[in-house]
Amino acid sequence: MIYKLVVPGPIEDVEEVRVLEWHGKSGRTFEPGELIVELETYKAIVEVRAAQRGILREMLCAAGEWQKVGLPLAVMSDDGAEALPDSLAAAAELAVEFEIN
Amino acid sequence: MSSDAPPSSTKLFFREAIARALREEMSRDERVIVLGQDVAAFGGSYREFVGLYESFGPARVRNTPVAESAMIGIGVGAAAAGLRPLVSITYMDFLMLGLDPLVNYGAKARYKTGGQIEVPLVVKTTAGAKGQGVAHSQCIEAWLMAVPGLKVVAPSNAGDAYGLLKSALLERGPVVYVDHKRLFPTAGEVAAEETPVPIGKAALRRRGDDVTIATFSFMTRIAEQSAERLAAEGISCEIVDLRSLAPLDMATVCQSAGRTRALLTLEEGQLTCGVGAEVIFRARESLANLRTARVGALPAPVSSNPILEAASIPDAARVTDEVRRLLAER
Repeated sequence: MIYKLVVPGPIEDVEEVRVLEWHGKSGRTFEPGELIVELETYKAIVEVRAAQRGILREMLCAAGEWQKVGLPLAVMSDDGAEALPDSLAAAAELAVEFEIN
Repeated sequence: MSSDAPPSSTKLFFREAIARALREEMSRDERVIVLGQDVAAFGGSYREFVGLYESFGPARVRNTPVAESAMIGIGVGAAAAGLRPLVSITYMDFLMLGLDPLVNYGAKARYKTGGQIEVPLVVKTTAGAKGQGVAHSQCIEAWLMAVPGLKVVAPSNAGDAYGLLKSALLERGPVVYVDHKRLFPTAGEVAAEETPVPIGKAALRRRGDDVTIATFSFMTRIAEQSAERLAAEGISCEIVDLRSLAPLDMATVCQSAGRTRALLTLEEGQLTCGVGAEVIFRARESLANLRTARVGALPAPVSSNPILEAASIPDAARVTDEVRRLLAER
C-alpha cells in the first residue's frame, strides 16, 4: 500500500513549515517510533516519527523547502517494489507521532 | 509602490527577516547595536535576534533590565553620542514608559540643537492582540504619528519587515518600527539581494475598482480575506498597505481612492484620533465626492478572554459588512 507522509497538525498558529532534516534516504525502512524528518516552525522544531512501519520511497520536499500543514512531504509504502502512483490524492496518510520541541 | 515579489527572493520566517536586516546592518556599520530584554543569548522574545549575540558579541547585543524608560533613554543618549542603537521594547504597551526620552529628547534633538545633534535611534516594538489582555495588546501607532520628528513604520509581511528595518537603521533620526504578534507565525518572500524598502511609500497589495481599503500591519491580512469574500459577491477591492504611518504616502492612497471614489480605512487600534481619521481627512482635502468609512477596535480594553478579544478587534466579517454599507451609500 502507498502512503503519503504529510506535515502533521494541528500546531497552534502554524500554517507552514520548513524541512530541517531528513533522517534517511529513499529506500530506508522506518519502524514505529523511528524519527523520519524534522520540521521547523516559526519558533520550534517538530520531530515526526513513524507510528507504523513504512519504506521511504520519494521525498517531495528537500531540506530547506516549505510545505503547508496537511500537505505531503514524501511518498511511502509497505513494499519497496510497489509502483508509485501518478497522484497521491487517493493515498492514505502514513500514521505518525509528532513532538514539538 | 509595487505589489510584485522581488525578482529574486528567498522565503523566510518573519523573525528571520528581522534578524537578517540587523545582521546586514551590524556587519556594515559597527555603530549599530541592539539593546533590550532577552535580546542576547536568548535571542529575543520572538527569536528575532537569534545569532546576533554569537556573531557580534556582548558589547553590541546587550540585555537590559525591565526598565523601558531607561532603555530608551540610554538609546537616545547613545544615538546622540554617535552610535546607531536599536532598542527592543517587546510589547508596544510598554513603549509608554519610554515616551519621555523618545518624544521630548529623541524626536526633538535635531530641531533643538539647530542640527548639531542627530538621534539615529530605532525603537522596535510589537503591537496587537493575541490572547494577552488589556496591557499587552494595544496598538498606539497613532499616538506616535502625532509627534513631529518621529517616523513610524509598520510592515505587514516578512519582505517589508526586512526592508523597512534596513531603512530605519539607515535613518538620521528616530524611527519606531512596529511589527505585530500575529505576523510572527508567518513566512514570506524576502529580496535575495540587499534591498531597503523606502520609508514613506505605500504598497498596492490588490487591484480593484469599487473600494479602496487603506490599512497596515496584520490588518492587511484581514483586508485580503475581506477582499476575497467580497470578490465572490462581485465587489472589487483595492488594498493599499500603508507600510509607513509617518510620513504617510497620501499620493498612493489618493491615486487609488480617486479612482474608486470609496475609501475604507482599517486598523486594529482605536478609531478616535486614529490612523483612519488622519488618512480620511487628508484624502478628503484632495478628493471631492469621496465616500468614507473607518473600521477599528471597539472603544474598550482588549480582553484576555479570546471571545471578547475577537469581538473587540476588526475581522473580515466586520470589514465586509462595512464595505457593503459604504457602497450602498449614493
